[in-house]
Parts: sequence; C-alpha cells; structure tokens
Amino acid sequence: MTPRKAHPLPGHRPSRSFARSWTVVAIAAASALALAGCSSSDGADKEPAADAKPQLSVTGAYMPEPVTKDMGGGFLTIANKGGADKLTSVTTESAKSAGLHETVDQKMKMVKAFDIPAGGALKLERGGNHIMFHDLTELPKKGDKIAVELHFEKSAPIKAELDVKAPTYNPHSH
Amino acid sequence: MRKKTALAVTALFAAATLSLSACGTGGAESDQPVADVSAEAQDKAATVLDRPFEKPDLVLKDTKGKEFDLRERTKGKPVLMYFGYTHCPDVCPLTMSNIADAKRRLAQKLPKDELAELQVVFVTTDPERDTPAELGKWLKAQDPSFIGLTGDFPTIQASARTLGISIDAPKKEKDGSVTSMHGKQVIAFSPKSDAGYVLYNGEEATADDYVKDLPKIIKGENP
Repeated sequence: MTPRKAHPLPGHRPSRSFARSWTVVAIAAASALALAGCSSSDGADKEPAADAKPQLSVTGAYMPEPVTKDMGGGFLTIANKGGADKLTSVTTESAKSAGLHETVDQKMKMVKAFDIPAGGALKLERGGNHIMFHDLTELPKKGDKIAVELHFEKSAPIKAELDVKAPTYNPHSH
Repeated sequence: MRKKTALAVTALFAAATLSLSACGTGGAESDQPVADVSAEAQDKAATVLDRPFEKPDLVLKDTKGKEFDLRERTKGKPVLMYFGYTHCPDVCPLTMSNIADAKRRLAQKLPKDELAELQVVFVTTDPERDTPAELGKWLKAQDPSFIGLTGDFPTIQASARTLGISIDAPKKEKDGSVTSMHGKQVIAFSPKSDAGYVLYNGEEATADDYVKDLPKIIKGENP
C-alpha cells in the first residue's frame, strides 16, 4: 500500500456500488494515518525500500514577507519517490544564516536535520517546522525571490527559490 | 446505506486524526475531549466562552518604556490580546499581520472613531530580548497603533495563566540559541464587560475571520 492510492476524503460521496470498497479504502487510509503518526522508523515493509536511492523534488517554496530584516521563515514541501533521506542544511546568500527549526507546543527549537520519509514527503508548513533565516541582507518584499540551496544526507544539493508572499499568506489555513 | 458509509468514513478519519495527534505531541493536546473534532468541523474561528476571563491586573512597560496599566488604559474598550515574542519567524508575525491586515481592510468599512476604539495588545513572552525599543520597532512595522508590553517575566507568566495560557520562560540552549514560547490564543475583551469572552487560535484564525468578527467585537457582541 502506498500513500498514492489512499485518496479518500470525507467530503467525497461514494456511489452505492462502491460503498463497500470505499469503506475498505477508508480503513486502510485511517490506519495509514495512524501509522504515520506513531512510527517514523519502520521503512522495512514499505515500497520503495528504505535503502533505495532517494528521488527528491521541491514544490511550493515560499517565505512570508518578514516584519524586519532580523529573521524570516521559509516553507516548502520535499516529495520523495525513493528511499529515505534527510534535509541537513540550507544555505543562501540572502541571509547571514539559515537553520532548521521545529515547532512543538508553541516552542521553536533548532534541529540538526528533518527526515524525508521513503515514498513520502517532508512538509514545512506555517505553524509547524520551518527554515529560519537570520539577518537577511535586505528586507524581502512580496514578489521577491530568495534563492536557496538545500543539502541532504544522501542526495545531491538542490537549488530552489522561495517566493516572497504576503505576511498573512498561509496556503494550509482553512 | 450511503449515509451510514459516509458516517463510518468520517468516524474513521476522526479516530485516525485523534490517534495521530495523541502520538505526535503527547502533551496537553491528547487530553482534549472528542467534542473538539466537531467544533473543528464547524469551521469557525471564534470560540465564545461560557465563562469569560477577567482582564488581568497587569502593569508593564510600553514600547516607550512608560508604565502601562492594562485595566486602567483599556477600560470600556474592545481589546485583542496576544502573548508572543519578536524572535519568532512564523506564528507571532502571522497572528499580528492577520490582525493588522484586518484592521486595514476594516478602515474602509467602519467609522474611523469606532475602529480606533480597538486596542491590540501584544505582550512579550521573551522580555529579556524584547526591550521596549525592540518591541516598538517590530510592532510599528506591522501597525503603529499596536500596543507592546514588556517587563518582568513572572508577572507576564502569571497574567497569561489567569487567561488559561501557559508559557514557559525562555531557555538558553547549549548552542547559544534561545527557545522561547508563544501563546496559542488571541483573546478578545468586551468593551461592555471588560471580560475576555472570545478566543481565537492564533495560527489558524485568518485575516478574513477578523474582518468578519471585529465589527461585532468592537460592540461587545458575540461574533
């Protein structure tokens, strides 16, 4: 079972003849969700294998317009069609430093790396984990682009551009 | 049959969501009752409290370094209050920008003096780094009318606690970085009762939510 196949959303109404299989898919999806919540280490029975070569692609990279040059947050999604990898650092010429920050219970903390699960995705979203930029060279304005290079444990570095969005931009809000 | 299946699907998703959050954070969130699931489904940003909070008896320094008595200065006025810190790249500026954006948009809809009644108060949870000047610089960039308060951490923590917001003192890590903490909610105080009667989840409430609700909150009505 791969995440690709589990697509059901509560809003979609199944037709009668599909009701049974729908329930089965829902159960599968529910257990997949529960699984994702509880275990991060068992890649053994997943496809692709955890030791397969990671295949990464970066989408939806943005930075909400920061308040001051002192700091800004970066958000993006790294999809992975291959084996597990880790985002280990971010470099940029637009700031003095860029770090990886996790948010747990309204607290932010530097971390050494973010896991990119095999056949899954690393999602950095508002309210959660993010890239923390310190001492930006210039105050980014909406419409600007911030060039970054993402470094990984296994994969070769990937160049990406963060689109600077409005301070209130949040693609995941309701 | 259809309905039943849909219900079963919803229930499964609810169960999965619950088990997920229970595994993920372990802390206070796992104690939340099942009822929260249905509250979320209503998709409403505001939570009107059955038992409102009393406005904290709080005297701190404003962004000019002058004494600011919260009860005295905001008596009879609608107030939005949030606890956060300026070295916060995400949720704190998101929360304050949403309110600033809503205020800008409401300036075209509401009479000027009515909107001017609204007091937006940002209390720092990191007073050591957030001096009056730092706080002033940060807030001014978002909305010059925002009130910033700083002072003694235990005083700030105690007042947050009376509003059901728990904040830990900033902690210096081994690598020299500081872990600070922001509050979860924005609290709206009524101009009629001076009580905190509506809560917003800081990171989930959008500028649209505030545009919709603030005209009512300014009058002390339920959003």
